[in-house]
Amino acid sequence: MSNDMNGLVKALADLDEGGVETLVRESLSQGMAPEAIITELSAGMAEVGERFRQEEYFLTELIYSGDIFKNAMTVLKPLCKTAADAKTRGVVVMGTVQGDIHDLGKNIVVTLLECAGFTVVDIGVDAPAQRFVEAVAQSQAVLVGMSMLLTTAFDAARETIAAFTQANLRDKVKIMIGGSVTTDAVCQDMGADFWGRDATAAVDIAREVCQ
Amino acid sequence: MNARERLAAVVALQKPDRVLVAPLLDHYAATYSGYTNAEIMFDGRKRIAAVIKTATELGPWDMTFLADTANATLLQMGVPIPIKLPGRDLPANATHQFHETEFLTPDDYALLQRKGMIRFMMDVMARLKPEWKGLRGFVPLTKTMLEYRCHAKMVKSRGMEVAVGFVHPGVLYEWFSLGRGMTAMSTDTFKRRDAILAAGKVWAKGMADLAILASRFVGVPRVFIGQSRASPEFISRRNFETLVLPDLEYTVNRLVAAGITPIIHSDTNWTKFFEVFLRFPARKCILELDGRSDIFKAKEILGDHMCIMGDVPATLLATGTRDEVLAYCRRLIETVGKGGGFILSSGCSLPNNAKGENVRALYEAVEKWGWYS
Repeated sequence: MSNDMNGLVKALADLDEGGVETLVRESLSQGMAPEAIITELSAGMAEVGERFRQEEYFLTELIYSGDIFKNAMTVLKPLCKTAADAKTRGVVVMGTVQGDIHDLGKNIVVTLLECAGFTVVDIGVDAPAQRFVEAVAQSQAVLVGMSMLLTTAFDAARETIAAFTQANLRDKVKIMIGGSVTTDAVCQDMGADFWGRDATAAVDIAREVCQ
Repeated sequence: MNARERLAAVVALQKPDRVLVAPLLDHYAATYSGYTNAEIMFDGRKRIAAVIKTATELGPWDMTFLADTANATLLQMGVPIPIKLPGRDLPANATHQFHETEFLTPDDYALLQRKGMIRFMMDVMARLKPEWKGLRGFVPLTKTMLEYRCHAKMVKSRGMEVAVGFVHPGVLYEWFSLGRGMTAMSTDTFKRRDAILAAGKVWAKGMADLAILASRFVGVPRVFIGQSRASPEFISRRNFETLVLPDLEYTVNRLVAAGITPIIHSDTNWTKFFEVFLRFPARKCILELDGRSDIFKAKEILGDHMCIMGDVPATLLATGTRDEVLAYCRRLIETVGKGGGFILSSGCSLPNNAKGENVRALYEAVEKWGWYS
């Protein structure tokens, strides 16, 4: 992509915040449809993701690019004729399980998912099982992400999975877990479907589930 | 050899009589001793009783931490964001948790430069805890230092070494990453580089002065240096070398010059930056890993340069079997411990819900496989 990137795609991929602001403004004034501008910004985010995969970029670059993207979206979204959600790749419910208030890992995943085109219902930290279940029931999400940084949160994660079964939603939703204390063995033991080793793995899982 | 001689040998990369065992103890001391987390966080006598009971009965360990991160006063003085504490904001047996918000502002870089490190820290403490405003902040600080020195003596009188005499919260990039929040800090990384660099120098000097003074007062010539968000999981090599390494190198060199051994506590995955640690003085530092870095790679790259400490993962200690823990410890001892320069420890803190038999297995592994012929 690098050789034929247009200005806006390149500005975002190069983390040129001022350049993105200017180009969004100019594009709008030249009559470009907001949806088309969003498409270019999404291409810029895809290039950021590619540079992350190539280890040219790291989490700070990802987070900063997400910030630039969101700032541009605050200008563009109100101008869209169609609801942005109509173009969503899928809905994901994200939360940190009950008893754990760490939000850094969850927030990174939320940012990456949004930048990858998913609609995220962020239910916050210390989220009881019922809040996860209600969020899925209301949003029709097909994927749930449970974040945890404490081994003592494993029981709450198990209870959350059990709550989906009790609500007859378990076969309608896939569940992924993530956080520094989680492993594939923990994932299997608690009956989750996926283990996200890191934030980019979580996005790959979302793509797989929502394709 | 006694614990002190053993420790001196591994830091100097000489072969001791056996591998040292020194898990990172904080909240687990409450679990094992039958106290609540709230009790040990707010009551120094219960905390030290729990530390000594745990380190003695599940070992005896060669070295123990004084449950520094289960000390409510220390935490509230050193962490620049609101903390939820057991017994106050959380159930009595919960682990404390940081409530990560954008607490520090962009203006705080300039404020730190203007006020200097100590007065800036006092200012931040007062924002978090108004009853510590001004000189009143020195009351808990003085009490804590006196208590810490007393607790260190109690541990040493039982033949164990105290891990650290001071907990250095890391270079400015680390501390501000917590206080600003990772999103704001990521933005600062690109938009406020000069502020980070300028404030970082003030922070590094002030914190090194304080660390040297405090560890001498406590009588423990080792200082914990915390780091996690400056790791290659978060920032690029270029940003690390520009925004972090100069301050880290300054801190390590200052401590070493003062006869203090830095314990560079490195959470998250630092494997890609291991070569950088070759710049630190040889045979003077301990690199502590939490289970996410490749400790076996650390041995390959740094084994002739610095002592390595770690890294039985928290999840294994909480959910694994005793045999699995023993097997992992044996692998560590026989590879990372080969030829010396290794301290067997937990990967970061022992988790609250670790199984007693799993924690005990660290000492058992050392007794069984850790003796050098």
